[in-house]
Amino acid sequence: MFAVEVKELTKKYNDKTAVDGISLQINEGELFSLLGVNGAGKTTTVKVLSCLTDADGGEAFVLGKNCSKEKDAVKALIGISPQETSVAEKLTVRENLRLIAEISGFDKEKCSARVEQTISELGLGEVADSLAKTLSGGWKRKLSIAMALISEPKVLFLDEPTLGLDVLARRELWKVIESLKGRITMILTTHYMEEAQQLSDRIAVMVSGKIKALGTLSELEALTGKQGLEEAFVAIAEGSV
Amino acid sequence: MNRAFAFSKRCFKEMIRDPLSYIFCLGFPLVMLVIMSLVNNSIPAESNVTTFRIENLTPAVAIFGQMFVMLFTSLTVSADRSGAFLMRLFATPMTGRDFSLGYILPMLVIAVLQSVITFIAGFIISLIVGSALNIGGMLVTLIVLLPSALMFVAIGFIFGTLFNEKAAPPLSSIIISLGSFMGGIWFDAEKTGGIMLTLCKCTPFFYCTKSARSAMALDFGAENFFIPLLIVTACAALLTAVSAAIFSRKMKA
Repeated sequence: MFAVEVKELTKKYNDKTAVDGISLQINEGELFSLLGVNGAGKTTTVKVLSCLTDADGGEAFVLGKNCSKEKDAVKALIGISPQETSVAEKLTVRENLRLIAEISGFDKEKCSARVEQTISELGLGEVADSLAKTLSGGWKRKLSIAMALISEPKVLFLDEPTLGLDVLARRELWKVIESLKGRITMILTTHYMEEAQQLSDRIAVMVSGKIKALGTLSELEALTGKQGLEEAFVAIAEGSV
Repeated sequence: MNRAFAFSKRCFKEMIRDPLSYIFCLGFPLVMLVIMSLVNNSIPAESNVTTFRIENLTPAVAIFGQMFVMLFTSLTVSADRSGAFLMRLFATPMTGRDFSLGYILPMLVIAVLQSVITFIAGFIISLIVGSALNIGGMLVTLIVLLPSALMFVAIGFIFGTLFNEKAAPPLSSIIISLGSFMGGIWFDAEKTGGIMLTLCKCTPFFYCTKSARSAMALDFGAENFFIPLLIVTACAALLTAVSAAIFSRKMKA
């Protein structure tokens, strides 16, 4: 069974087609990157897969569960770290994590255990009792990922997780993401080519709602005849291949 | 239910950590209670104006305070909607019912705490001015204020769900002005008569104030207490159902 399977998925907003009949399969434990310029359809695809919006055509499955017809089952399997800061600003780091643990349906003992485990795994100890609004951008992103992980998801959506972070904070988050590889299936959307190159097992390039290319870095390089992901991406996005 | 309770804990904690909640929900009503008591002190006894007497003023100010809880509810919900935090929660197994309960319950707790504090302040003022408030009346009024608290929270929830951070609070302020006026909080609406009284009677605010003042006076007659209370309770139930339905619909959209 695939962790994620998408068949001819289409999503329209009024007259604009945001996602245009895409199909893909993502294996369990894989880190799959969705690349594309602004408006390419990456975030819309993530929204359909995380049951935040319904598709207008086609089907999407997470571990065999239909994203339109079995939303509760899908929601129990996924975690999401949205593009914008998505934490409760006037709660502490520990309280934010506990909130998501409680919403995930864990009992009291498991909530406490998961909170402490997540704080330890993501190195949030030094800010555990700080209010989220007092954290730097890097710490907030780390908290956001921790909140997505605390529910023990099988599939994790990371929507531009390092957007706006300085280079050190970005590298710090990469370490966190790399430490999860193999254990959790991750779908990463990003504008940073270096990030996708460093972290991804496979990469899909979206242009105007369609998948224009899909493969490993070396496969994309071979397809375009270019060296490095950035050059390959530009060639694909500009329609040179 | 556990999810709703977890979310309501979050809303309650975030509210009590926001200085605005103290200004809106506590400070302003208490200031009005003190100012209007001073106004009452300046009104000659022979004028027979009873609106600002502490036994009439305290329940009316408690209703006035609930309108600020409405404003704060609209602010909280619209602010949540403007960020990505709710989007994260929409991707969890939380249902529209969990969200509705999660927002409404802590706001009700805040409204009850606010009423208790208003009545304690009213009681202290009543001792100072030499006409001690009836403790039994105060306790009954605190219970009678629950449906109106729910009604105002539901209105705030509707505004917060339908409008953004910039529009929801001003719209709530319009309801505060309208509610104070039509509810007869700062004047005796029943003495106005004519079209004005008819207009007041067309709003639930009039019945909120009337049932609360009657409870304070331990007047449990049908016309002054039970019928107004029934109208407020029906409005509260209807608006709560509407607010939950609107939020669930928005959530799916």
